[in-house]
Parts: sequence; structure tokens; C-alpha cells
Amino acid sequence: MIASIVDTDALLTVVWASLAAGVGVTAAFGFAILGGLRAIELGRTGRVGEAAIFAVIGMLGVAATFAAIVFGIVVLTE
Amino acid sequence: MEGQLLTVIIVVATALIFDFTNGFHDTANVVATSISTRAMAPRIAVGYASILNFVGAFISLQVAATVASDVVDPNSITLLVVFGGLVGAIAWNLITWYFGLPSSSSHALIGGIVGAMLVAKGPGAVFFEEGILGKVMIPALVAPMLAFIIGGIAILLLYRIVGRLRPGPVTQGFRGGQVISGGLLALAHGTNDAQKTMGVIALALVAYGSLPAADPTPPTWVVVSAATAIAAGTYVGGWRIIKTMGSRIHKMDSAQGFAAQGAGAAVILASSHGGFPLSTTHTISGAVIGSGAAKRLSAVRWGVAGNIVAAWIVTLPASAAIGALTYGVTRLFGTGALGPVIVSGLILGGAAMLFTRRAREGPPVAAATSEA
Repeated sequence: MIASIVDTDALLTVVWASLAAGVGVTAAFGFAILGGLRAIELGRTGRVGEAAIFAVIGMLGVAATFAAIVFGIVVLTE
Repeated sequence: MEGQLLTVIIVVATALIFDFTNGFHDTANVVATSISTRAMAPRIAVGYASILNFVGAFISLQVAATVASDVVDPNSITLLVVFGGLVGAIAWNLITWYFGLPSSSSHALIGGIVGAMLVAKGPGAVFFEEGILGKVMIPALVAPMLAFIIGGIAILLLYRIVGRLRPGPVTQGFRGGQVISGGLLALAHGTNDAQKTMGVIALALVAYGSLPAADPTPPTWVVVSAATAIAAGTYVGGWRIIKTMGSRIHKMDSAQGFAAQGAGAAVILASSHGGFPLSTTHTISGAVIGSGAAKRLSAVRWGVAGNIVAAWIVTLPASAAIGALTYGVTRLFGTGALGPVIVSGLILGGAAMLFTRRAREGPPVAAATSEA
């Protein structure tokens, strides 16, 4: 009954897209903060190798955050 | 035709006033989180939200298409039906604001149009199942629950990722992130809410004969005027919010604010793309409650959750009844501009009386906010 009334495909798309964007972007930004802060802390103690790894994690987090936002807005405007 | 022109001008002006009040009402929902976590100074947050509300209105027209085509039969629409619907929504918003009852401007708008259409053309002109239930009511129920779940998952994940870091720099980092998430939320709000007004104006233009019923896509001037009205409402509403902000806003940390704004924006933007006209306030509230509940269950404001359910149940039939009554009263004066002129005067007088009384008496005892 409900399935025949509601556009189930559109509603399910809303559910998975919201989950992916809402959880994905916040997690990516969390990794950006983790990477950035840990890179600074480790760099100060002279652990350059580990600092570099965390710096890459941080940059990937920032890149993923902005890429997801731009992708989302492009999809919306299509 | 001249009478029709005056009527369509009154209807479009009424729709834009409704849009302005929608922005005015919703400023708090859009900027509260950023201000309460000190991610942004109040004046900057309000200006920023206002600009992104304006921009958001240009992103998509899916919701406008739903309002213009899928709720009532555009082939049966008349200017007086649209006018009755708008007045029904505005009157219901005023009543709920006066008594401090929960409401939803979005549901009120759709309810008002449906009520007026029922009286004007009968149930055959209203798309109850696929339109009202399928595109409005069920998505309106799903969206806050979805935002609640996403807000909860997001904050749990964030605490796991950054939980061992020093709190000071983490707070600073998430405050920076809230500039992005708060902007997205304002963008999402402008997208979904401004489009409802665009859809209603498109219906009026169909009734006037300047848009085809088969493809009632709003013209550019409608998009620009709806975007301007909601942005102006957001900006003006902001100054009122800034004055009362300190005592009313629930405190949350910046990670929670980021998670809640991200969840709310994601659900509203995805729903806008699907063409679902939902209550943005209910969705944002769901995300805020979710991010609070995941941290501590007792932090959930169950009263707010109850208000959402009550608003979901009551608003549509109540605004439909007022829309129907308004249409009936307007129709007593014929199909020309006289009815809308008289009813507009009555509404303005009633609004002035309610504002005066409320200013004299102070806020209502049941200090629940009217929600859009």
C-alpha cells in the first residue's frame, strides 16, 4: 500500500545520499582535524615520519570534505 | 482581465510576504548552532545565512515542481484558491505564534492550498495519496528521524576520531568546520523553503493563464523575488534573534554543532533534490536532538520531539480548514479582486491586533516556538 503511494526509489535515494553525505563529510572533516593536530604535535617532538603520515591524513580529510560538498552541489544543480 | 491582474498581484504579494515571514521565523534554526558554539559572531552568522539563503533558492526547482504539480490539480487551480491557501497558512502561523503552539509553515502552506481547493473544486482536484501522503506527509515524518539518526552516528564517529586529542584545538577546528556546515544548512534552507513559495506563485500564474498547467516551471523573476524575500526575512529576523540569543539557545560543543548542521543540511539538500517539500525546522531539530542524544540520552529535549509530532498531526488539517473558510469568505464577494482586498485587510488588522496584544502581554506561557 505505502510502496504504491510513495516514490520509494526517490525516498531511498534521499536516505542513502543523506547518510553518505552527513556521516561521510563529518567523518572526513574529523580526520582532517585529527591529521592536522597530530602532525603538529608529532612535528614538535621531532617525529617527522609519523608527522608526515598524519599530515597526509589531514590533507586527504580536507580534500574529501570539499570534494564531497562540490560534488553534492553539482548533483543538485543538474 | 484588469480585476484578474489586481488579484494576481495581491496573490503574488501575499506569497512573498509568507516567504519573508518564513525566513524571519527560521533564522534561529539556521544560525543558532553556529552562534551558540561561538563558531561565528551573531552579526556575521545572520548576514552569512541570509546570503546563502538567497543563493540556495537558485540551486534546484524540484520542490517548486512538486508544489505546483503534485499536490493539487494545476488544471483546476484558480487565483482565489491560491489566495485562500496562502491566507490559511499565514493565519494558522499567526494563531500558533500567538498561543505558543508548535506548527510548521511548510505544512500550513500545503494544508491551506488543499483546504481551499477542496471547497472550490472538490476532492477530485486534490492528489491525496501520491501527492499529500506520498510527497509531503511521509517524507516529512522520515526526514527528522533520518536527521536524528545521522546526527547521532556522526557525533559518535567524531568523538571516536578526535576523542584522544586536546579539547582546545579540536574545538577551534570544529568551529572552523561550522563555517562550512552552517553555510550548507543555510543553503539547504533557502533551497527547500524558497521553492515552496515559488511553487505557489507558479500555481497563481497557471490560474492567471501566463504559465501552462502542463509545465508550471517558475520564471526567473519568481525565483529571484522568492530568493530575495526569504533572504530579507532571514536578515531582519536575525536582529530579533541576536537580542534574545544568550538565554534561549541550548548549549552544545562545536563537534556536536558541526555534526548536527551537517546532518540537517544533508537531509534537506537530498530531499530537495528528490522534490520533497519538508519542514526544515523539524529536520534541523531532529539533527540537533540526535547529536545530543548520542552523547547523553538525558540531553534529549523530548518536549521538542513531542512538538514535532503534534505539529505533524495538527497543522495540515487546521490550515486546510482555515484555507477552506478563507476561500468561502473570499468567494462571497465574487471572483474579482474585491474579496482578496477585503480579506487582506482583515488579515492585516488581525495580525496588528495579535502583535499589539502579544507585545502588551509578553510571551505565551507555553513558550514553544512556531516552526517552519
